[in-house]
Amino acid sequence: MLDTISLLIIVPVIFSILFVALPKSLYKILAWAFFILGVALSVKLVMDGTGVVPVPESNFAILENIVFVLEVLVILFILAVSLKYKNWPTLGLGIISAAIFGYTYANVHGAEGAAFNIDQFSQIMILIVNIVGTAIILFATGYMDHYEEHRHLNRQKIFYFTMSFFLAAMNGLVMADTLGWLFLFWELTTLCSFVLISYNMDEEGINNGFRALALNLVGGIAFSIGIVLLATNYEISTLSGIGAYAGTNATAMAAVALPVALLCIGGFAKSAQMPFQSWLLGAMVAPTPVSALLHSSTMVNAGAFLVVKLVPAFAGTNLGTAIALFGAFTFVMTSALALSQRNAKRVLAYSTIANLGLIIASAGIGTPLAVAAAIMLILFHAISKALLFLCTGEIEHTIGSRDIEDMSGLINKAPLLTMLISLGMISMLLPPFGVLLTKWVTMEVASSNPIVSIFMILGSALTTVYYVKWLGTILSTTMDKNAVHHQKPETYFPLSFLGLCIVATSILVFSIYDAFIKPQVATMLNIAPSVTGAGGQFSSEIGTFAYALIFIVIALAILIYYATKNMFAPRMSSYYLCGENSLEKDRLMFRNGLCAYDKSSASNIYLQNVFGESKLTTLGYVISILLIVAALAGGVL
Amino acid sequence: MNSFDILKIVLVLIGAPILGCLIAGIDRKLTARLQGRVGPPLLQPYYDVVKLFKKDNMIVHPAQNFYVVIYVVFVILSLLMLVFGMDMLMIIFVYTISSVALIVGGMSTGSPYARVGSSREIMAILSYEPILILYALAIYLLTGTFKLSALSTLSSPLLAYIPLIFISMLFVMNIKFKKSPFDYSTSHHAHQELVKGMLTEYSGPGLGGIEIGHFYEYVFLLGLMFMFWSSNIIIGLLLAVIAFLFVIIMDNITARVYWQWMLKVSWSILLIISIANILIVYYFYFKPA
Amino acid sequence: MTLAKSPWIIHVNVNSCNGCDIEVVACLTPLYDAERFGVLNIGTPKQADIMVVTGSVNYKNVNVLKNLYNQVPDPKVVLAVGACASTGGIFHDCYNVIGGVDQVIPVDAYVPGCCPRPEAILDGVVAALSILENKKKGNVKGKEVKMKGNEVPSNA
Repeated sequence: MLDTISLLIIVPVIFSILFVALPKSLYKILAWAFFILGVALSVKLVMDGTGVVPVPESNFAILENIVFVLEVLVILFILAVSLKYKNWPTLGLGIISAAIFGYTYANVHGAEGAAFNIDQFSQIMILIVNIVGTAIILFATGYMDHYEEHRHLNRQKIFYFTMSFFLAAMNGLVMADTLGWLFLFWELTTLCSFVLISYNMDEEGINNGFRALALNLVGGIAFSIGIVLLATNYEISTLSGIGAYAGTNATAMAAVALPVALLCIGGFAKSAQMPFQSWLLGAMVAPTPVSALLHSSTMVNAGAFLVVKLVPAFAGTNLGTAIALFGAFTFVMTSALALSQRNAKRVLAYSTIANLGLIIASAGIGTPLAVAAAIMLILFHAISKALLFLCTGEIEHTIGSRDIEDMSGLINKAPLLTMLISLGMISMLLPPFGVLLTKWVTMEVASSNPIVSIFMILGSALTTVYYVKWLGTILSTTMDKNAVHHQKPETYFPLSFLGLCIVATSILVFSIYDAFIKPQVATMLNIAPSVTGAGGQFSSEIGTFAYALIFIVIALAILIYYATKNMFAPRMSSYYLCGENSLEKDRLMFRNGLCAYDKSSASNIYLQNVFGESKLTTLGYVISILLIVAALAGGVL
Repeated sequence: MNSFDILKIVLVLIGAPILGCLIAGIDRKLTARLQGRVGPPLLQPYYDVVKLFKKDNMIVHPAQNFYVVIYVVFVILSLLMLVFGMDMLMIIFVYTISSVALIVGGMSTGSPYARVGSSREIMAILSYEPILILYALAIYLLTGTFKLSALSTLSSPLLAYIPLIFISMLFVMNIKFKKSPFDYSTSHHAHQELVKGMLTEYSGPGLGGIEIGHFYEYVFLLGLMFMFWSSNIIIGLLLAVIAFLFVIIMDNITARVYWQWMLKVSWSILLIISIANILIVYYFYFKPA
Repeated sequence: MTLAKSPWIIHVNVNSCNGCDIEVVACLTPLYDAERFGVLNIGTPKQADIMVVTGSVNYKNVNVLKNLYNQVPDPKVVLAVGACASTGGIFHDCYNVIGGVDQVIPVDAYVPGCCPRPEAILDGVVAALSILENKKKGNVKGKEVKMKGNEVPSNA
């Protein structure tokens, strides 16, 4: 199994070098090869089974040195770029991290060995990173030329290098068990994110890149303090060690609460939870494949991943309740903010933060079923959101705008693309798809805590609203333009593949649960959630989610539609525009009072003056910071 | 699934639209009487639907009637799930599919009137959906499960525990029946807002399908009110009748309001009293497992 | 007899002086209560069966009338209410008036009067119902009326 693990880290690094070394004309072949290898390797890892894999002692010393050198390089890079661009806050944070690193190196006794922990959760993450991730890189080969052409850039080598290198770091992050190594991968993903956000090299990009870097450094500092505390006070140097230590009794759990809370804050920053959310919104200036890969389906999940992994250390404590409240608060707040946005990528960014908040909230609740819901939501959300981001990118190339209002009538212009993005949106808000199933589980498990569940209820209503608005807009037929035909395979294959993944995972939800999530939760909390899956129903002691029934009814509805379609011979007609239609021109043109022609249009309601960013952001900061302070206080007391 | 269940399904499939049709007929008759008119025959909604199916199928977008099928099918499914006492939260999600189908169907036609109507209906979701889910949450807090079949284990009827949610639900009925003062997305009768709102471009069989869907939806909605006293069928039905009369009387004594007004009322009053009710239930009746 | 039991009307005012319109609306009041016959004044032509037209047709609104007529699904009946809609009325020789509604679209029933009493209008609607039934039975489709762009008077 160690071979597969090392291959999962080495292969992306090799590809990143290949992308730099080979000419642009070969990128498509490289991306296809990378996709196939990524699928093969991740499936191989799942086949290899689970277990803790220690690094052989003979290699440990060399690897530890490599890790040391890389960590130094990371810090030097941060210091260098922040000096170069005279970004003093980042420089200050970089110096603090350097100081902590120096202190750790000098005073904290290093670990004796290192290990990788492959459990079912890691397997799921590996599947997401290597299948969805490489599919996104494949999409990028059909996307970046057009993107750069518009912006007069020629930095694709850096783009592909960083994207592939990021996959290596991400693979390391989800597999590493040693906290020191985990932290290195953690910082590497932060750096990749910084490089890719600043990709356009304009002022906005660089500023947003630095904001992301600075906020993630804050999280990183909390993370490293947590590691130092764990190592000096409790001699814990592995992630699984925290759970094992805390799992012994309540006193141990209370003892590690402070470092665990600090690690969680690191996770919150990475997942762009409420006080840190601005970096993820700023990150939307990056090319869409970057948003799809780093800022929705993989890197931001690392924060939620860490929090879920730490569940054994806070399940059932006050710290857990505080985390649940915090996550649920972020969910409702960012859902409200998403409601007021017209920019599709910002809507998706807020929706990502909201869903990560939901994951963190269910991790905070900490019952076996809640943890199962959190892990499942990570999986389903990653697939749906990757699809949504990629489709948004392709829409931007098709119509030249990412404003939701401009997308009205997209179904006439790009039918396949519209179908795919509609599938993505429907999977985010309606049953029987996976995201809603997990949202249902989350709401059911949260119901024992009324405040958390009220937050979730409000957030879920808001989620419905902002997606339905967008869904209705793209499906409306207000554009008379003809369909476009630039359906490149490297663009539409990843999209269709992700769409198929959504349907397949939703149909196979119980098998996925049985194979991955149940054993994972059983090892983490020593109890498996009592869920049965007979007859296509996902049922726990508090409720039943009959997903198979709904799939059947959808199929039935489609059958009924096609059976009755020709019973009533349809006759096309023009719109009702008070009879003032102008039939020669656009179907929505009408004759106005001056006998000139206007185009009629209607726009959606955004409630800017209630849920606008200027109204809610400050409130969100205040409450979320209070909640974090409460979590920390709960950890100490 | 035994033969009794199948009988139940058949009964719902056939009985609900008849009942819904009568409800709609009574509504029109009562409204007429309240206005000092004779009003149409009781079976008028039935005549309307039959007529609509005999009309030309005039469309502006090839797929617009697909959304009608989705709407009707999922309304029926949510009604069946209610009858079989399944998971309340699930029922609400399934019911959301049908509401979304109608909204997207309206928007898909592309008509500006329909789009404005649909936008307003989306705002209606924002105002009633949280209350519906709070209702489900109350059921969980009281019985320890979201399954409606567990309501029979309660010692007192639901209404005794959650009277405030009952009041909120009365207003939800008003919104969902699309009656004044909340009939700004579309309305059933001839008091038009924005031509016909969401349904402007539907005609003939498409509209007929929507009307049949409404019949099922009426039964489903009144079924939700029935659940407040499901242990006693007579009182349960009485509650449904009270809700229905409330809707009709409100319809006749109020004027249409802005959607902003509805959002304000529902988030500032209805939601707050529902949440207060939930907290009361939580502190006095909830027993953690 | 189902079509006749649920006649939904769309009221089109082309160049009317509003006299007839007030009488049409009066039909819906409690005194005359057109809803007894299932009549609904529906807003959109897409859902109407009977097109109630008041006023004479002029060059400005002729396309509006044609458009609305085309948008009413079959079977459909046109009812011209009032002298102007039937013949052009006192405006018949006005410089901008084309004439009665039947100059532009096929009319099935006429209600004379300036303005007609509500009873007469209801009578006209009831008369239109049997025509509606016959059209359904005979599968008579209304022909699509062609537009001619912005119509201008021939003598202009």
